[in-house]
Amino acid sequence: MKDVTFGQYYPANSIVHSMNPAVKILLTIAYIVAVFMVKQFYFLGFAACLLAVILITILAKIPFLKVLKSVKAVIFFVLLSAILQLLFNKNGTPLWKGGFITDVGLLTAGFITARIVLMVLGATLLTLTTSPVDLADGIETLLFPLKLIKFPVHEFALIMSIALRFIPTLIDETDRIIKAQKARGADFDSGNIFKRAKALIPVLIPLLISSFRRADELADAMDARCYAGSKKRTKYKKTPFTVSDFFGLVFMAGLIVGVVFLNGFII
Amino acid sequence: MQIVSKDLVYTYSEKAKALAFRALDGVTLTIPEGEFFGIIGQTGSGKSTFVQHLNGLIPTKEGNGQLLVGEFDLTDKNTNLKELRKKVGMVFQYPEYQLFAETVFEDVAFGLKNFYPDLPQVDVEDRVKQAITTVGLDYDKIKEKSPFELSGGQKRRVAIAGVIVSRPEVLVLDEPVAGLDPVGKREFARLLKTLHATFVKTVVIVSHDMDFVAEYCSSVAVFSKGKVVKVGTPKQVFEDRVGMREMGLDIPVTEYLKDALKEKGVILDCDLSVESFTKAVAEKFAKNKGETDL
Repeated sequence: MKDVTFGQYYPANSIVHSMNPAVKILLTIAYIVAVFMVKQFYFLGFAACLLAVILITILAKIPFLKVLKSVKAVIFFVLLSAILQLLFNKNGTPLWKGGFITDVGLLTAGFITARIVLMVLGATLLTLTTSPVDLADGIETLLFPLKLIKFPVHEFALIMSIALRFIPTLIDETDRIIKAQKARGADFDSGNIFKRAKALIPVLIPLLISSFRRADELADAMDARCYAGSKKRTKYKKTPFTVSDFFGLVFMAGLIVGVVFLNGFII
Repeated sequence: MQIVSKDLVYTYSEKAKALAFRALDGVTLTIPEGEFFGIIGQTGSGKSTFVQHLNGLIPTKEGNGQLLVGEFDLTDKNTNLKELRKKVGMVFQYPEYQLFAETVFEDVAFGLKNFYPDLPQVDVEDRVKQAITTVGLDYDKIKEKSPFELSGGQKRRVAIAGVIVSRPEVLVLDEPVAGLDPVGKREFARLLKTLHATFVKTVVIVSHDMDFVAEYCSSVAVFSKGKVVKVGTPKQVFEDRVGMREMGLDIPVTEYLKDALKEKGVILDCDLSVESFTKAVAEKFAKNKGETDL
């Protein structure tokens, strides 16, 4: 449970890490748009995206393996869509006489795989280089237009960062309660699905109760420090728009232009 | 049941090299049957990890040393963990956080029903009643209550009743007095004494409370950096003042007092318990009556 890379922050001192989180989120969205702009069968565009990922990874000083591991989280999904394409795409000509796999099916499978994998790699780079707190901060900045319709953007971002903050705590807590109930002979691994679901009750109820307790305690602690929501709050961590953000924008614009340009070529 | 551990090793997150942490680094320790055994050590010294091995909550792998609990060989994959957990009860830190059932009765009976699914209802009631009475609660008053409407101290008692109800031979407690007030602590100690005399044969207790350890434990093991660095009676262990300080551990109040008296030239020969200490002081006082230097 603790070895999942997808959505994990990798602390390092790099220009990618120090970028403005809001800009980074926008750039990630732009990157995903670029990946989706690659026209079917024109794989040069994907090569450009992959090159961009490699470049960013080097700049961010993250080990490649760390980035690649994120694909593990979606591998089942990728394989499933690729296999479905291989088996059921009837366009084009069969690869061999009487065969059920067509050339178009094979290309589409490769195309979908490349699209999903590249998308996940890009999104992973965002979460690897941006701490959850910064991420919530960036989302808050990006959502500011909603303030005009009185949407509590700040509170929304706060809820998000608190939720992120408590994930590891809840994992620890779950682990502890499971152990305590196992010590009392609870059995989570045998029986049919209903029996197993029922066996989880002694874990879920204490977990729920302790979450409420934690929420109460946190609310009290915030009250004790006179926390009052978004009204005239300044930020502890300022994230100005810097040169690296500018270069990031240029870089991503280059990628999109490149993809559009490469779409004109045929291998 | 005797507990024998030999060169026991355990590493957390072994697969993720960067996060790997060796919590146990060759623990060799024997806990004979019938002991009231204390385990002390700084935070992160491996005590909790070790006691969680004792009923298989943390699995032991081949090549990571040996661990025998009674007739159970924990390095053997085929060991019946359910049978082992019947014999070795485990009380975690803040056990009240594991309560879940609608009534106290149901919660206490949970373990019993897991371990002995065929036990007739009459016997279940009998045993639950006995467990609840043993922890010092009024069975008839409390059995139909929701565990969540009890006070903190009562919750903890109910949680412990839920462990001793299956009558383990060994009772392992991880920091059981954390968060209790002084009176609660004393009552809890008395409860453990009673349990040791009646229900369970061996008690293994992890504690930061040196007074508690000095007063009640028959033997103590000191953990440091994943190893057992010292085993003996509390008196032998706490004698080494420098060593204790180096490991970031405190000594019991009676030892402080003894040291202070020694500085004034009064040497006492007594155990670490408060009773033994006061007796020694009283004797000395009686002997020196009339002399002016005390």
